[in-house]
Amino acid sequence: MPVFRAFVALVIALSALVAAAATPGVSDREIVLGSIQDLSGPAAMLGSPVRDGMLLRLEEANEAGGVHGRKLRMVLEDSGYDPKRGVLAARKLLDHDQVFAFLANFGTPVVMATMPLIVEAGRPHLFPFSPHESTYSPLHPLKFQIFAPYQRYMDAATRYMVQSRGYRRTCLLYQDDDYGLEVLKGVEAGLARVGQALVEKTSYKRGATDFSSQIARLRAADCDFVVLATVVRETIAAMSEARKTGWMVDMLVTASGYSAQTHELGGMAVDGLYAVSVLPHPYAAGANRALADWIKRYRARFGVDPNVWSAMGYSIADLFVRGARAAGRELTVARFVSALEHLETTRDFFGSPEYHFSGEDHLGNRYGRLAQIRDGRWVILTDYLK
Amino acid sequence: MLSLIQVLTSGIAIGCVYGLVALSFVLIYKATETVSFMQGELLMVGAFAAVALNAGAGWPLWLAAATAVAGMALLGAMLERIVLRHAIGQPHLVAVLLTFGLGLIMRGGLTTVPAASHDIYRLPFADRVLQVGALALSFSHVLVIAATAALAVVLAVFFRHTRAGLALRACSENARVASLMGVPVEAMHTLAWALGAGLAAIAGVLLAPITFVHLNMGLIALKAFPAAVLGGLTSLPGALLGGVFLGVVEALAGLALPEGVKDVVPYAVLMLALFLFPDGLSSGWRGRR
Repeated sequence: MPVFRAFVALVIALSALVAAAATPGVSDREIVLGSIQDLSGPAAMLGSPVRDGMLLRLEEANEAGGVHGRKLRMVLEDSGYDPKRGVLAARKLLDHDQVFAFLANFGTPVVMATMPLIVEAGRPHLFPFSPHESTYSPLHPLKFQIFAPYQRYMDAATRYMVQSRGYRRTCLLYQDDDYGLEVLKGVEAGLARVGQALVEKTSYKRGATDFSSQIARLRAADCDFVVLATVVRETIAAMSEARKTGWMVDMLVTASGYSAQTHELGGMAVDGLYAVSVLPHPYAAGANRALADWIKRYRARFGVDPNVWSAMGYSIADLFVRGARAAGRELTVARFVSALEHLETTRDFFGSPEYHFSGEDHLGNRYGRLAQIRDGRWVILTDYLK
Repeated sequence: MLSLIQVLTSGIAIGCVYGLVALSFVLIYKATETVSFMQGELLMVGAFAAVALNAGAGWPLWLAAATAVAGMALLGAMLERIVLRHAIGQPHLVAVLLTFGLGLIMRGGLTTVPAASHDIYRLPFADRVLQVGALALSFSHVLVIAATAALAVVLAVFFRHTRAGLALRACSENARVASLMGVPVEAMHTLAWALGAGLAAIAGVLLAPITFVHLNMGLIALKAFPAAVLGGLTSLPGALLGGVFLGVVEALAGLALPEGVKDVVPYAVLMLALFLFPDGLSSGWRGRR
């Protein structure tokens, strides 16, 4: 009975369509992911390697046959670090591209503006580049994070440094915005726990070029330990200024200053600088075999050397792949969330921390480790500081 | 006292860079009555061009820097010929928006180059420290100050003693009369844009050892614009001095005033200066007209 057969086929096809429509971004053949990056704004230098790292992992997953037979496709939008453009991008990714989940959205202002839209639409908001507490707390079923607030890392790192090296006069140079204030809170908390207080603090505005007055001020306060809430360029400028004037004080920078660029550009002036690291920089020299292989693949694909941001992008995409694999063939948001909540990873070839989520805690890692520049490269000094 | 002098020299060096960018603003404004919003981008592209020729193509530093500056001057001239000339006779806003858009294009174009958007670069200037008694001066700061002084002399000679310089000045005084006197006004416009772009590129190359070469180095134009206004927007020496003044005030305020005040000071000074000398500081010391 050809008519009956056609009818059955039609019903099956329709029900398949309905099932596919039930979970946006998931079809028989592919899973669509969205990411809002900064590819042209002030953080493009970080956004581009994050994008490339993610693309590399997704392409590898696809070459290996995808996740349960589905290929992974990422739709990237550029916010230029502008929340207004971020919101437009989020709308487009939600309504037009119908993405299954958002990965690694970049920048606190953009994340704050777009996260409510995304979770309201019922899409997972995964591992944004925004060390802001609201990305995982209070607990929300769709919000997952692997980067802890700066406050946490800096509290532990300051405490460790003061305790192990016996500093008496800790000072702070910070960027005059949310980032700097958060580090300030962390440093103060860490010092309070060892019975000390901040001796002097001084700030600068984003884009500042000259740090001579700040360094002169800190030096006048007779600091023996300076914490830097700076980014790469300011870290080098501040430390070079101190060294130039013969001030050999110990300095510790946040994870924002932990970059190969810091020693490549800073040269001898930044030798001895301490930093908090959440993921080691992927150096080609002395790399283990898996890492060396990864660096080669990255170079072949993008024509540039990977940096720590590429590694982060890769790790984030890898966590998604693991979660989606664990969720099984019948991929829905609920299944994916549940799979992620039971996910536990071990250290990978980058030397990453163990990521671990649960039903009560969606922050995968809250620890950083100490590193120091020795002979022109970062050397990891400690394990993850609890 | 020592720290005061130390901070002062840094302030002067940064001020020189402000001054050079301010100079490029004023040069263009005087000759074409257009406020160019792409000076920051020209500065950045110029510095990247120097990096590309030096690190990428392996040219010696001086040749790479000179070629980058010359190339940017050429680009400025081309932009005038191809795009900005069409804005003559239109409302002022058209030219301003055109420069804004051209700036966005330059920036966007550069972000499509992975090597440019992934990394910060340095030009291999010696990062030595010159020890003068107890004073430690970084070589890059001394270089900036010396180069700015040399450039000021060259520009002064150009504007006073060469035909092109005199013609350019004539144009900016009164384009119509200059035209009647046989000055090729259109060619002078091209020259002004070329000089403006070249100056921005020089500022970019000089800024490179201080802040490195990266996508956002053009933000310094935000500081240079107040410097240009401080100088009266029509005075070339005024722009240069305005820049140095701003740099010094900024540096000293950071040292002497309470935490957080220093960032307000340049703008407070600007407001005060505009209030007292509405035509700029240079008119102030020439006597108020």
